[in-house]
Amino acid sequence: MPLVRPDATPFIESPSGVPDLETLYRTHAPTVARWAARLAGPLVDIDDLVHEIFLVVRRRLPEFRGEAKVTTWLYRITERVALESRRKDRFRRWFSRARHFEIERTIAPTHLTPVDEVERRQSSETVYRILDRLPAKYRNVLILFELEELSGEQIATLTGLKPATVWVHLHRARVRFVAEMKRDSERRT
Amino acid sequence: MKKPRGRQTEAEERMPIRHRWRAQPPGDSDEARAGTLLRSAAAVQPFGARNLAEVAARLRSRERHLSRKWAWQIAIAVGLLLFGGAVSAAVMHFLRVASVGPALPDTPVSMPTSKTVRRRHMLVAQPFVPAVLPAPEAPPVPGSTEEKSESLPVKASIESPPAPLANPSALAQESRLLAGAIHKLRQERNPGRALAMLDQHRARFGANGALEPEAKVTRIEALLRLGRHDQALGLLDAQTLTAAGVGREMLVARAELRAEKGRCGAALNDFNLLLAAEAPPDLVTQRAMYGRATCRAQQGDWAGARSDLEHYLARFPKGRFADQARAAMGK
Repeated sequence: MPLVRPDATPFIESPSGVPDLETLYRTHAPTVARWAARLAGPLVDIDDLVHEIFLVVRRRLPEFRGEAKVTTWLYRITERVALESRRKDRFRRWFSRARHFEIERTIAPTHLTPVDEVERRQSSETVYRILDRLPAKYRNVLILFELEELSGEQIATLTGLKPATVWVHLHRARVRFVAEMKRDSERRT
Repeated sequence: MKKPRGRQTEAEERMPIRHRWRAQPPGDSDEARAGTLLRSAAAVQPFGARNLAEVAARLRSRERHLSRKWAWQIAIAVGLLLFGGAVSAAVMHFLRVASVGPALPDTPVSMPTSKTVRRRHMLVAQPFVPAVLPAPEAPPVPGSTEEKSESLPVKASIESPPAPLANPSALAQESRLLAGAIHKLRQERNPGRALAMLDQHRARFGANGALEPEAKVTRIEALLRLGRHDQALGLLDAQTLTAAGVGREMLVARAELRAEKGRCGAALNDFNLLLAAEAPPDLVTQRAMYGRATCRAQQGDWAGARSDLEHYLARFPKGRFADQARAAMGK
């Protein structure tokens, strides 16, 4: 399913000319949630992330002049919030591993889940572990192309890049992804 | 220009990609393997009506919270203004009374002397070196010069109130018992037995033993090695610690224990104390730097945590926590 619908939803504005947050939320929240899930990876709570994104949207709504497409504007906010969230998540994971310092080493409790769910989660974590080693500009383009199945033009619209730049990033992202994938499997064997 | 092997030219890089890896059939090529991997990660949880309603409710409650926050801020500002006015009025009144009233007679005030203050801080400022204790197999002769010169550093580190004049033979016995406990703890790696000997020490000499502070430090170390963190923290919380000598080790242990218990505010005080002074490039400093980063991260101060980790890596690129710090920084 393509991520970005043609931006046909009428852009409803309040009488003051400022876009209406509630309509924006109702119309775009599911799409934003999908972007957020894709960009942030499997270890992030999507409800929290969507909440954070729309807090930023509300704060920055008065600045929105309608010069860019609303989806482009929302995507850029999502991208920034997801990046910040990934950073925090990295810290949190590190903290939960390191919090016992020199004093104690504990083993995290294992949660029993169906095997296929565990496998799926592991694969997903592997993909994002590899993706996280790529520069953000390559990583995001690869996610949008391979996981969200957007076309080059759609990616260009969403990210504000030129289509040729999108393809350059994508080619380079693929080369790096394969190299990191090999390195990752070497490390694990 | 010669095309580098394995690299595409710029013109090639600009060419649109027609086929996604995900569409590739399974196989042994890199693209096929990448496709298999990406397919496995493709599914995401749909953001359904329930999620939509939940987040909308959170956004609305946040709005209410923000308006409440404003009300609180205004109330606090008004309160501060009133309080400030009252204080300045009181000060003015006091100054007026003081300028017209009779001179106050000099009253002796009991202030702690700099010496007593220094003594108090010396509890931990003095390094606790077991070597200063008489060896168990060769107890010192009571009253000998050797005993006096070796016992002094230990006695000087005792916190007020000063220990009662110890019977020399009692001190020798106490030293032997404590040295035995330290030997069990550090040489034989038997914290349980060390703790039992420390209990004996407490039963025999009580809280007024001449070497009670050293016994306490040893007890904390034994409790830590036994994993009895709550008890160790209880003892450490009751101590006045400084960032000098053995105090540094105790301070970093207390900070880590406080952080472990979720008391990051108190832990940060200890870490800051350790890092405020000229911190030597040792493991205690490493633990303090890394620990402070962890605590700041836990409190949501990501910028502070990142800055600490950067400093840590700059100072200890091959340090004990360098790998974890790099992983956390995404390096």
